[in-house]
Amino acid sequence: MEKIIFHIDVNSAFLSWEAVYRLHILGEKTDIRDIPSAVAGDIKKRHGIILAKSMPAKKCGVRTGDTISDAKNLCPGLLLVAPHYDLYDTSSKAFMEILRDFSPCVEQYSVDEAYCDMTGTIGLYGSAVVAANLIKDKISSELGFTVNIGISSNKILAKMASDFKKPNLVHTLFPNEIEKKLWKLPVEELFYVGHATKKKLHTLGIHTIGELARTDLNILRAHLKMQGEVIYAFANGIDMSVVSSEVPPNKGYGNSTTIAFDVEEVSVAKMVLLSLAETVCTRLRADLVMATVIAVNIVDFEFHHASHQMTLLTASNTTNEIHRAACRLFDELWDGLPIRNLGIHTSKVISGDSLRQINLFDGNRYEKLSKLDIAVDMVRERYGDDSIKRAVFLENRIYHMAGGIPPEKRKAIYKEGIK
Amino acid sequence: MFHMPVDVIATFNVQGRIKPNYIRLEDESHILQTYKIESIIFSREEKYAGIPVLLFCCNILHGDYMQMINIKYHIKTHQWVLVNEADNEK
Repeated sequence: MEKIIFHIDVNSAFLSWEAVYRLHILGEKTDIRDIPSAVAGDIKKRHGIILAKSMPAKKCGVRTGDTISDAKNLCPGLLLVAPHYDLYDTSSKAFMEILRDFSPCVEQYSVDEAYCDMTGTIGLYGSAVVAANLIKDKISSELGFTVNIGISSNKILAKMASDFKKPNLVHTLFPNEIEKKLWKLPVEELFYVGHATKKKLHTLGIHTIGELARTDLNILRAHLKMQGEVIYAFANGIDMSVVSSEVPPNKGYGNSTTIAFDVEEVSVAKMVLLSLAETVCTRLRADLVMATVIAVNIVDFEFHHASHQMTLLTASNTTNEIHRAACRLFDELWDGLPIRNLGIHTSKVISGDSLRQINLFDGNRYEKLSKLDIAVDMVRERYGDDSIKRAVFLENRIYHMAGGIPPEKRKAIYKEGIK
Repeated sequence: MFHMPVDVIATFNVQGRIKPNYIRLEDESHILQTYKIESIIFSREEKYAGIPVLLFCCNILHGDYMQMINIKYHIKTHQWVLVNEADNEK
C-alpha cells in the first residue's frame, strides 16, 4: 500500500502563539498577526534578532534572523514583542497532542513541525486531503492558530508541500506532481540546500530544482560529495526515511551564551565557562549519561568563530571536571581578542551507569564531586535553579547557569500577568 | 481593554464539576461589589494556545436587571478572570 505522510507546520509559530495568548488569555483586541509585528530578543543583551514575524511584516521584507535595527529600517512601524518560551512549550505540546489523536505514528521534528504517518486511516477520517483539512481546522478552532499541511508518500515531499503557499492551507505533492509543482521552484527552496550550496549550484548553472533533478549525479558527487547525492534524491522526490515516533537518543549536549558585554579577562571567561558547564552537566546528569569529548567554541567581537576539542581520560558528567577540561581548551584556544559568545559542547555520549575507569590523576575527588552534583541537582529540582549556586556567582553580573533559555525569556513580562 | 482578574466563590461537586456562585470585583470608585450568579447559561472548555480554560457564561443580578457575563477559570493557575465585555460581540 502506498504510504500517506503528512508534514504539519505551524504558520509563524512563535508569533501565532503569542497572538493567540494575547487575544484569548489576556483579552487584547489587536491580533498581532494582522499588523506588522515580530518576536525578537533583547537588544540590550545583544540578543537582538528577529525570531518570528507576521505576514504583514514579511511583506515589508523582514526575514527571520535579521537584526532588530535592519528590521526597523525595512518596516518602521514594526511592533516587537519579547519571546515567551514557556508558552511556546505549552502550545507545542497541545499541538502534538492533537496530532497524536489522529495517528499513532507522530514524529516531532521541531517545536512547531511534525510528521504523521497517516497510512491506512482512510476508513477513519476519509481520504488524505479530507483528513488533513480536518486536522487543520481542529487545530485552528481548538488552539486558535493555523497550520500548513503537506501531503505525500514520503517525508521530503510532504515537507516541501507544506512550504508551498501559506497560511492555513493543505497542499499535496505526490511523486506524479513533482514535475508540475516542485521542479519549477528555485533550487534554494529545496530542503538541505542552504546559502553555500545554493552558490555552488548556481556556478554549476543549476537554478531550479528541476535542473538539479536532471543533472548527472556524478557531477553533483564531484562537487558536493555526499550532500550531492542527498539533494539529488530530494530533487527527484526520493526519501527512504520512515516516520518514527521514538525520539533518537541525544548524540551530544551543548550550550552557548552571548554575553551582554565583550569579555576581555581570562577570569571572567572562565566564570562563563563554569556557568555553561553547570548547565551542560545538569542536562547530562538528568539523562543519566556521561560525555567523553569536550569542545569549547569562541565567537569574538568581530564574529570570528573558533573551536577546540579534547577527549577526556574517562567519560564524565561532573561540573568540576568538565569545567577543568573546558578551561584547558580555552587557554589553548583563546587569542586574547574580546569575546562575544562562548559555548561548551560535549559528545561521544555513553550511558551513565557504565563502569568508570579509575585513574591515577583523579585522586578520590570524583566520588565526592559526583555526590555533590547529585545533591545540588536535587535541591535545584525542588526549590528552583537559583536556590543554590556557587559562591563565585554571588553579586555577579554573570548568571550562574548560562545557556539555553534564560528565566526572563520563559515568562512574558506583561505588565501584571493576566490583566 | 484586558480581561480583569476577579474573586470568585465556587462549588466543586463530587464529579469534579465546578460552579461559580459569587463574583466580587472593584467598581469605578474602588469599592468591592459582590454579585450572586443567578444562573449558568452554558460552560465550555477552551484550549487556546494550549492553555486550558473553563468558560462560564452566566447571569448576574445587577440592580433590578439581569446581566450576562462571561468568566473564565484558568485550570493551571487557578485564577478567575472576567472577560472583557467587547469580546461578547465576537
